[in-house]
Amino acid sequence: MGSAHSVPAEMRELADRTGFTSEQIEHLHRRFKQLSQDQLTIRKENFDSIPDLEFNPIRGKIVHAFFDKRNLRQESDGLADEINFEDFLTIMSYFRPIEMNMDEEQLDRFRKEKLKFLFHMYDSDHDGKITLQEYRNVVEELLSGNPHLEKESARSIADGAMMEAASICVGQMGPDQVYEGITFEDFLKMWQGIDIETKMHVRFLNMETIAHCY
Amino acid sequence: MGGGGGPPRPAAPLLPVLAVLAVLAAGAAEARATSESQLPGAAAMGTGTPPSPSGTAFEETRLHVFTLDYPHVQIPFEITLWILLASLAKIGFHLYHKLPSIVPESCLLILVGLLLGGIIFGAEEKSPPVMNSDVFFLYLLPPIVLDAGYFMPTRLFFENFGTIFWYAVVGTLWNAIGIGISLYGICQISAFGLTDITLLQNLLFGSLISAVDPVAVLAVFENIHVNEQLYILVFGESLLNDAITVVLYNLFKSFCQMRTIKVIDIFAGIANFFIVGIGGVLIGILLGFVAAFTTRFTHKIRVIEPLFVFLYSYLSYITAEMFHLSGIMAITACAMTMNKYVEENVSQKSYTTIKYFMKMLSSVSETLIFIFMGVSTVGKNHEWNWAFVSFTLLFCLIWRALGVFVLTQIINVFRTIPLTFKDQFIIAYGGLRGAICFSLVFLLPPAVFPRKKLFITAVIVVIFFTVFIQGITIRPLVEFLDVKRSNKKQPAVSEEIYNRFFDHVKTGIEDVCGHWGHNFWRDKFKKFDNKYLRRLLIRENQPKSSIVSLYKKLEIKHAIEMAESGMISKVPSSVSLSEYHEGKIKPLSPTEMENMREILTKNLYQIRHRTMSYNRHSLAADANEKQAKEILIRRRHSLRESLRKTNSLSRERPAAANTKRFLSLPKNTKLPEKLRVRNKTSSRVGDSSDSEMDAATTVLNLRPRAGKILRDQRLRQQRPPPEFRVEWKNEVDGSQDRQGEQQEPSTLPQPSIGFRQPLLTRPRFGTLSREDLTADHGSARPVPPPRLVRQASQGERQRNKPENQPY
Repeated sequence: MGSAHSVPAEMRELADRTGFTSEQIEHLHRRFKQLSQDQLTIRKENFDSIPDLEFNPIRGKIVHAFFDKRNLRQESDGLADEINFEDFLTIMSYFRPIEMNMDEEQLDRFRKEKLKFLFHMYDSDHDGKITLQEYRNVVEELLSGNPHLEKESARSIADGAMMEAASICVGQMGPDQVYEGITFEDFLKMWQGIDIETKMHVRFLNMETIAHCY
Repeated sequence: MGGGGGPPRPAAPLLPVLAVLAVLAAGAAEARATSESQLPGAAAMGTGTPPSPSGTAFEETRLHVFTLDYPHVQIPFEITLWILLASLAKIGFHLYHKLPSIVPESCLLILVGLLLGGIIFGAEEKSPPVMNSDVFFLYLLPPIVLDAGYFMPTRLFFENFGTIFWYAVVGTLWNAIGIGISLYGICQISAFGLTDITLLQNLLFGSLISAVDPVAVLAVFENIHVNEQLYILVFGESLLNDAITVVLYNLFKSFCQMRTIKVIDIFAGIANFFIVGIGGVLIGILLGFVAAFTTRFTHKIRVIEPLFVFLYSYLSYITAEMFHLSGIMAITACAMTMNKYVEENVSQKSYTTIKYFMKMLSSVSETLIFIFMGVSTVGKNHEWNWAFVSFTLLFCLIWRALGVFVLTQIINVFRTIPLTFKDQFIIAYGGLRGAICFSLVFLLPPAVFPRKKLFITAVIVVIFFTVFIQGITIRPLVEFLDVKRSNKKQPAVSEEIYNRFFDHVKTGIEDVCGHWGHNFWRDKFKKFDNKYLRRLLIRENQPKSSIVSLYKKLEIKHAIEMAESGMISKVPSSVSLSEYHEGKIKPLSPTEMENMREILTKNLYQIRHRTMSYNRHSLAADANEKQAKEILIRRRHSLRESLRKTNSLSRERPAAANTKRFLSLPKNTKLPEKLRVRNKTSSRVGDSSDSEMDAATTVLNLRPRAGKILRDQRLRQQRPPPEFRVEWKNEVDGSQDRQGEQQEPSTLPQPSIGFRQPLLTRPRFGTLSREDLTADHGSARPVPPPRLVRQASQGERQRNKPENQPY
């Protein structure tokens, strides 16, 4: 690990900021170097080197999420061209498992962050709400692995789901009300029953199984 | 049976129950008398006629006018009576509305069994027919396990597989050895008079009593609705521990009979465990595949399709039992494997039959098991020893609690969602013992176990304690501890979408990390499945998406719901119905004629519907394609009518209600045109019903009825279907060339019919609103034709998807 990131002080700082342990950071760093081919930053093209990702229907959105400035906790909007290790860690921190010693408030914040990450994946035009078109986009991508499905069905499914969302979020609407799109609050409401904080994490333990022969 | 509309009359069903009891007791007594003494048992039945000629008669008998030949039918007769009794008892319980929620059925059934056993015992001073262990293991247990395995939530099961396996294997081992050794310690205390029980015997006893019983768990957990995660942990454990129970039981039993025990035997025991478990699962999976393959070819003989499911699963069970492997694991594996593929190969009707029959069988089995347990308790099979019994109970509880606690601490390190103390408590508390240990203890060879009766007593006490005390108190405890309950909300398409999306995100991130997690393996399996298995085992293989299938299912379901609720919304039909029923006799005005005709058409449909649908508490009603078609025809029908009515109405009163704007009629000529346009592009379903509908429309020429229309409108106001407006917008635009976009015909994937009434709020998305508003204002006062057409076409559009919104 010949890069500057391996300096313990920096590592500790990273650890504090993102919440990973130093061991996990080391693992992730190794992976980062693999992906970036020993460069300091990763670009979108580097993600092509992951073979399994090819089969993922929402591959585009996942890669996009890495470069989304909103996820990188920067104030600005839009897409970054390349990310460094710190940004990589930041994105990964969304998938940290919960710790037993978190209190209510921390858990809540944690949950909101994770949901916000997901929300950004849906909301591709960064306007803060998921419109019907964006939703359709998502459903089409999800079902894109299915060659027999017609576009119309994907669309109708998306419409139906949007209706459900509207009924959950706004309940009975007056005749002239318009449902602009799913805002983040509505999004939260819909995920209320589901323990996203427990489901949304990757075990960063067994990094030894990384196939170094990628 | 007096169950109907009025207040529950407990006395009524009890009479037949008592009658059945009496017959059973008498029959049993008589049968014994007959078989023992060869005398005609006429007295009990009071026939008073000469019996059938016995084999040893050498004198001539005259021709008998009326004979009674009970021994001839004894066995099937008694079986039928038992099952009948069990089912009647079940009806009886449910008459008391509150009872099943306080006391689990299993307790009540045991009580009935006790009562019956008491009667039989009293009637003839002998132990009543004890449930034969063979009967239990070969006939009564498989249906229950099959039912559980078939409907097991596989995804959740496999996600928690590690934990379940851990609890089942290590937990049961821990319990068995712990209980065995501590009981041995107690036995050593000479004050209790138990010193003749050896260590091995104690270990054997420990192994058979530590098995958590799936039947009891199901019976108790069914009513308390804890969250699925917890349920699957306890239930999965009860299924998987069969492997270890079988191994330990056989191991210790043979050890007890062997003179010396060598180390090699212990290793043989361990190897045996793997063979039992894995062998059972392999047999199950293999037969599951064969079953799926068989159903691939059954499309010509639909009627016997359900039979294959049952035969193959039962075959897997008894094959496993033949090799002394774990039958429960075999049948569970078989059911889980079959479920995926068979579902797609069999017809809808067969599928419903399978589900329904399975539930019925398992229900009957469960009832019988508990009743038999009650009956077998009464008798002379007991030997009471305060120390043994009470310490057994105590140790069972202690070791279970300790075991769960310790094991959870270890497994929490590996779990992604750690188990809280509440979870642990429920898991420990839910470790109910039941019929399996009961039967196992009866199977002990008395030659090797001189104190068998003591064991029997102890087992019975433990079972009664867990089923009664723990079964009754678990519900208030769950509420007290505020354990997360399962939220039985309706499956929603959006949820499915989110879940799938989420899975892919997780998989993607795991790929990026280079980490092989759960999702990785699940993905790999899915790919393998799609590539090989599905092609082989499913007849017309089309790659299926869970989202699409869920969506289709929901569509059909809602179409059915709409039909049942009487077309447009619930209230009008019930209101009109009540009016009708309260029918005072007065001259029928034309309004009422219409009323009645409406009701008739609706009810006619419903009657037919009723005969086709099932209504068991745990099954959802399945739809029939034709049914759904009909619903849509009728729905369209009634919409047309109401539209016509509302048309004339709104012309007369251009009143304030918002929705009125939407409820005006198009020039009728427009309708058929639009229909025909859509006819060309719509699916098969649409075609036939369309023509039907056209014909029907011309026939039915109903005049407006103010009352109903008003009601309809009020209701429409409350829950107006937005699709109407939204969809139509497109048509309007298309026809008026305002926006000239998306005039695509909306074709549907085949079975998507109808639309969800409840979901129909009025969202209009994005830009649509502004245009709509202008359109509104533009044509507000005089009833705007476009709006009308929209409304009408909504009817037709029922079949077609809401879409094509101009964006």
